[in-house]
Amino acid sequence: MNGSQGTYRNTDSEERPDRSLGITRRTFLHKSFLAGAAGAATFGWFPLINTIDLAFGAESFKFAWLSDTHLYPKDVNTRFVEKTERAVKEIQAMQPAADFLIFGGDLAQLGDPVELDLGNEILKQVTINKVFIPGEHDWYLDMGAKWEQLFGKPPWSFDHKGVRFIGLDTVSRAPDYWSIKKMSPKERMGHMATLDGSVAGPWAGVGHDQLAWLNSALADLAQDAPVIVFSHNPLYEYYPPWNFWVRDWREVHEILQPFSNVTNIHGHTHQVLYNEIGNLRSIGMLATSWPWPYAPEGVPILTTPHIRADPGDHFDGVGWAQLDVTAAGRVEHEYMMWRKDILAEAPWDSGTGDNANQVLRPRIADRQWPY
Amino acid sequence: MKRKRYALIVLGATLSLSLVVTAVLNQALAHKAKHTPEQLQAFQDVLMEQVRLGDLLFHGDGATAQQMGVNLSRTGMACAMCHPFASDTHPHEFPKFQEQMNAFATLRDMINWCIEKPNEGEIIGTDSEAMKALEAYIYWSNQGSKLDTGRH
Repeated sequence: MNGSQGTYRNTDSEERPDRSLGITRRTFLHKSFLAGAAGAATFGWFPLINTIDLAFGAESFKFAWLSDTHLYPKDVNTRFVEKTERAVKEIQAMQPAADFLIFGGDLAQLGDPVELDLGNEILKQVTINKVFIPGEHDWYLDMGAKWEQLFGKPPWSFDHKGVRFIGLDTVSRAPDYWSIKKMSPKERMGHMATLDGSVAGPWAGVGHDQLAWLNSALADLAQDAPVIVFSHNPLYEYYPPWNFWVRDWREVHEILQPFSNVTNIHGHTHQVLYNEIGNLRSIGMLATSWPWPYAPEGVPILTTPHIRADPGDHFDGVGWAQLDVTAAGRVEHEYMMWRKDILAEAPWDSGTGDNANQVLRPRIADRQWPY
Repeated sequence: MKRKRYALIVLGATLSLSLVVTAVLNQALAHKAKHTPEQLQAFQDVLMEQVRLGDLLFHGDGATAQQMGVNLSRTGMACAMCHPFASDTHPHEFPKFQEQMNAFATLRDMINWCIEKPNEGEIIGTDSEAMKALEAYIYWSNQGSKLDTGRH
């Protein structure tokens, strides 16, 4: 038995909640209230429910999250279509029905109008209200023209049962890497669609204009009112080389800082993620298309890692999510991953734990300028 | 005119012969003399050209695939879509028992498994130029990883 196994067993016997709790597919928040972040970072946790919810008096309800479908035209790839259709059917079958569906971006793979139309047709099978925020894959072929025609212009906000919802656009404000190189729209999109590419650089951001909008969108809100912010990218610095962040996340936090109950729900990272910084909680959602590996550094210590996916099974490591907003205005999320186990209980089954000896460096073949 | 063409042929043949002789001599003299910085740079250039080609193949560059006569994917998926920075390729862990194949496997075996299964492409020769380039890119990207043969 190696050391990590020993650590796992100690954790198992001393700190893990009883297996008879039977929580297998549900991940609750509020882990920061547990006995220290170091404990939460060990393997083998089923996250616990904390009992310090603030009384708010709002009505409890559910909503659904779907994102990162990365659809190709059907003649290229039907695999992603099948998974999107499966998610859509399951969302439509929710009992009780969700109040609304948030689509969190990257509907298309290469921003092709054929891909966006295909996604729009599939999403029509969901008859509850739908709201949309874009991903970078939806945007950079035509700079959002088709997206806005189909799904409207971000950002937006609305109030629902006592919660203020905000939908941000974290993708459209990339520094212009295409004009000086005289790139075609397809070339521009191709660089943007390469997660580990070097050309598009730190494209994820909120931007000064949208920061001002966010500030005004919250100006009339009581500071203890629940706020849920949807964004494609995480609103903190997880791993900038893959744009697992927004470059102006500090300014976002400054605006959100006065509010005591803020939850950010984001896509893009295609993996189980959880973080807390100050009053801002962040929950990363799964993709339906494929899971990304955890970044080589920066995984939040509060994240209980996603179990390693089987690359031979297209339905493994992917899915959608149900989110409950409690009467106290807190968010509980349930990953609807299409396998029995979601969270890794041991390092050797974990998407982070199996990378202990891995050291990586960035690619070279697309380098055009240093960042 | 004929004489000029003949001279060119003779010149070409002489150059080719001298290159072959030099290459053979270089092989014969390998490690028999101290290396110059220029030689070391030449060795590195050979590696980096393979890394570059492998990087392009790994990221789904159609022109490179065509040039090398391979079809690594029929799904639109590229290797890098699941392995940004060649992460989770774990070259430092091979050879090892590979669960998906139910066999003891090398990195090259795993590369072909990924081409054939998730990517639905056409497997490539285990000693082919494309395989060497992919292997070069994966190893180079994981430079600094600690050898951990057999790790699951």
